[in-house]
Amino acid sequence: MSVDRSVIRELETIVGAEHVRTDPGDVEPYSRDATPAFRAVPDAVAWPGTAEEVAAILKLATSRRVPVIPRGAGSNLCAATVAERGGIVVVLTRMDKILEVSADELLARVETGVSTAALADTAAAQGLLYAPDPGSRTVSTVGGNVAMCAGGLRGLKYGVTRNYVLGTTVVLPTGEIMKTGGRLWKDVAGYDLTRLLTGSEGTLGVLTELTVALLPMPATSNTGVAYFPTLADAGRAVDAIIGHGIVPATLEFLDAKCIGAVEQYARLGLRDDAGALLLFGDDGAQDVVDRNLERIGEQCTATGAMEVTLAENIARAQALLEARRCSLPALSRLGTMTILEDATVPRPRLAEMVDRIDAIAHAHDVPVATFGHAGDGNLHPTIVVDQHDDAAIKRAHEAFGEVFKAAISMDGTITGEHGVGAAKLPYLIDRLGADQMALLRRIKAAFDPAGILNPGKLGS
Amino acid sequence: MTAIGRDEPGAGTAAHGTGGHGHGGNIFDPELLDRCISCGFCLPACPTYALTKDEGSSPRGRITLMRALETGRLDPDDDRLRKEASFCLGCRACEPVCPAGVQYGHLLESWRDHQWRGRHRPPLAQVLMMVVERTPLVRLIGAVRRPARTRRPADGDVRTAGAGRAATNGRAPRPEQLTLMLGCFERGLFPGVSKAVQKLLPEISVPENQGCCGALHAHNGDSAGGVALAEKLGEELPGVIVTTAGGCAAHLAAVLGRDRVHELSEHLVKAGYEPVGEVTVDDGHGGRRRARVAIQDSCHLRNGLGVSAEPRALLGAVADFVPVAGDGSCCGSAGTYSLLRPRDARRVLDPKLDAVQTAGVDYVVAVNPGCLRQWQTGLARRKSRIRAVHLADLLAAAAAGRRLPTGLPIAARLPTVRLPSGMRVGRGFRLRKDAEAQNTDGWSA
Repeated sequence: MSVDRSVIRELETIVGAEHVRTDPGDVEPYSRDATPAFRAVPDAVAWPGTAEEVAAILKLATSRRVPVIPRGAGSNLCAATVAERGGIVVVLTRMDKILEVSADELLARVETGVSTAALADTAAAQGLLYAPDPGSRTVSTVGGNVAMCAGGLRGLKYGVTRNYVLGTTVVLPTGEIMKTGGRLWKDVAGYDLTRLLTGSEGTLGVLTELTVALLPMPATSNTGVAYFPTLADAGRAVDAIIGHGIVPATLEFLDAKCIGAVEQYARLGLRDDAGALLLFGDDGAQDVVDRNLERIGEQCTATGAMEVTLAENIARAQALLEARRCSLPALSRLGTMTILEDATVPRPRLAEMVDRIDAIAHAHDVPVATFGHAGDGNLHPTIVVDQHDDAAIKRAHEAFGEVFKAAISMDGTITGEHGVGAAKLPYLIDRLGADQMALLRRIKAAFDPAGILNPGKLGS
Repeated sequence: MTAIGRDEPGAGTAAHGTGGHGHGGNIFDPELLDRCISCGFCLPACPTYALTKDEGSSPRGRITLMRALETGRLDPDDDRLRKEASFCLGCRACEPVCPAGVQYGHLLESWRDHQWRGRHRPPLAQVLMMVVERTPLVRLIGAVRRPARTRRPADGDVRTAGAGRAATNGRAPRPEQLTLMLGCFERGLFPGVSKAVQKLLPEISVPENQGCCGALHAHNGDSAGGVALAEKLGEELPGVIVTTAGGCAAHLAAVLGRDRVHELSEHLVKAGYEPVGEVTVDDGHGGRRRARVAIQDSCHLRNGLGVSAEPRALLGAVADFVPVAGDGSCCGSAGTYSLLRPRDARRVLDPKLDAVQTAGVDYVVAVNPGCLRQWQTGLARRKSRIRAVHLADLLAAAAAGRRLPTGLPIAARLPTVRLPSGMRVGRGFRLRKDAEAQNTDGWSA
C-alpha cells in the first residue's frame, strides 16, 4: 500500500473505522466505474457522512499528499472516478437526503449522494419537474450529475444539468467549506464558481450539497416514432423540424444496428427494415403537445419517413424512452468489446457527421452503430468488436481518432456529455489548444495547490 | 477513448490468473462473466446494496469480485469473497433490470460452488442437503404431516409415472398429464397447501414417490447435485409439473425446460381457471367485508421466469388486491438464507413489514413456502394481526366459502421457551440458535 498506515488511522478517526475499508476484497469493487477498460485499485475507500468529515479528509490528504477520488454511484462513462494514481476513493452515497423541495421558489436542496431518480420522483410528487434526464438516472447521484454536467434526453428544450444548478456547498482540497451561488436565478456577485464547479469532474472540490432549479410539471407529454430509410434522412428530418420552429423535448435517433439491439432487449415491436429511427416527444399543454407532434410527423413524412406513429398511451411512451436509455448496454450484446464515443457537432451538420462516421468506419474496416441525441447534435457512435481481436481494437481506436478530428473540424467537440475523465484527456488539447490547457492547469492549482484531488484527470 | 467492454481476461487468458495467487481460473463460464459492462443499472434493484450502500454488496461489485477471483487477483479464500458469496440473497432482482443480459443467478451458483466447496459450506445447509437428497426421508416428512396424495390405486400412479418417463423423453408431454410437486419442506411445513391445490385442480395427480428438486443444492454450492436431483424428479413426476414453490419452479424449469414446469398461478391462468367466491373478514361492525390482500412475489418466479401478473390477477378476483411498494422485492427468505443469516433476513424483511402495516391489509399472499414461512415468523414477531397465507389456500378458501383465520396466530401468543444451551424453541417451526448468538459471517453486523 502506498498510503501510509498512519493516514488510514487518521481517516478512521475522522469517519469512524466502520466507514473505512482497505482490505483487497473491499477496495476491489471500487477499482472501476462504468468505463470497464479503465481499472485501478485504490488504497482505501471511505464513506464520509457530513461536509465536515469531507473537509477533514481533504485537509489530511493535502497535508500528506494522498490522492482523493470523489465518487457518487460510479456510473460515469469516461473513467472520471478511477483511482489511476491510487489513494482514497471517497464515496458520497451516505449523504443522500433530500433537504427541501420548495414549490414556491421552484427549487430543491439535496445532499450530494441522493439518486437523480429519487430527486425527480420527490419533485414529481409535488407537481414539479427536475428536468435533467441522464440515461443513468436510476443509478446516478445528483452530485455526480453536477460534477460531470450530465446531459440526457431532454437537452434540446430543457438544456442539461448546468442549466439547473443554482448553488452548491463545496469542500476545497485545502479544507474550506464554502457555498457558491444560492437560491437565486439572478446573482452576479463574483465569478460564477457554480458554473465552474459544474462539470469540474471532481478535480476542483467535493460537492456536498446542491440547490437545483425545478419547473412546474408539464400537464401532459407524448412520444412518437418515425422510421427512415437511412440515418442521413433522419438527420434531414431533424433540420426540418427545428427549421419550422418546433423545439420538442426529445429528439433521439437510433440507426439500424441499435434498433435491432434495443428490440432484442425491450421487445417493443420496432421495425427491423428501417435504416434509422427517430424518437420524438414533447410535453406541455395537451393541445400544444398534440399539435407539435402532428407537425413533427408532417416534417418526418415530408423528408421521406417510411412510417410515423404516436405512442397510444403513457406506458408505451415511457417504454420507448426507457428503450432509448438502454441503447448502449443493449448494443453491448452484439460483441465482447463495445467502444462508445460522444462526439458532438452543431445540429445542422448532424447528417453530414453521420455520413463521415460511416465513411471513417468503412475505411478502417470496423462495424459502427450510432445512436444519440439528434436535437443536440450529440452522437454516440459505437464500435462493437471481439475483445481478443487486437487488430480490430487498434483499428477502432484509429477510427475514433479521426471521428474526433472530423467533429472538431465541423466546430464540434470530442465529448458532448460523458466528460473527459482519464479516458479523453489525451484528446482534450485538440479541442482546447495549448493556451487553454495551461489556463485549466492554473485554475486547478488555485483550487488544489497540492494536486491531490482526482489527479490525472481535468487540469492535469 | 471510452471503451465500454470486457477488458477482463476470459477463457483464453484465465490461465494467467495462476500467476497471482495460484488458484484463479475455471470457476466461471467466461462468457457469462464477460456479459457485464459495469453500467450499474443493477444497483437500485439490489436489496443488499440498499442495506450497505457499498459497491461490494451490489451485483456489479460482486461481478468485479468474481472477476478478481477468476483472474487470481484476489486470494480464493479472501474474506470479502467469502462474505459476499454468502451475503447475496440470490434473489436475481438484478437480472430483469440488466440491459446487457447478465445471467447473475448462474454466476452466483458457480461462485458458491467454489466458495462453499467441501467443508466451507455452512453446516446447516449441508445437513438440509443431506436430508432432501434422500427421498425416503423426504417422504417421511410427508408421512408425518400428511400433505395431499392421489386418491387412486397405487398401481395407477406407477403406470402414470412409467408412461411419463417414456413420453417426456425429448418430446412434449401429453396435455392430460399433470402432476403436483409436493416440495420437500412444504409438505412438512404447510401440508395444507397441496391439499388446497387438489381442490383447485381435482384432476392433478400427486405421486407419493417424489424427492427434492435440487434448488437447495444449486443455491448452496452444489449446482451439479442440483441438476441431478431435478432430472431425477423429472422422471418421478410425469408430464407437466405444477409447483406451489416459485423457487423450485425456476430451478426445475432451468433443468427440465420451461414447458415442463408450471408454477401454480401460471398454470391456473394458462388452464383458464376462473376463481370463484370471495375472501371476507369481519368489518368490525358485525358484518363482513372483502379482504384487503397484498402479495409477496417469489423472486425466482418473478425474476427468473417472469411470472408476476398471474398471482395478482387471481387474488384480485377473490379479494381486494392492494399493491404495496416493494412487493416484488425479496423478503429475505431466499431459500436457506433466513436460516443461515437470520439477522440479515430480518433487515431485509423489516421495511416490508412496515409497508404492509401502513397499507392496512388483512393478508399477505405468498407463492413460495419459504416466503410464507418468512412472513409468518416476521408478522408473529411483531404480533401483527396481518396473516400470511399461500395463494392456493386463499383461492381454495374463497371457492369453498371457508373463512381464513384472522388475528394473532395462537403460536404468536405463546411465550418463547429459552433453553440453557443458547438454543431456543420459538414459535412454529423455529428451532435454532439464538439469532444474536449466530452471527454467520459478521459482515452485516
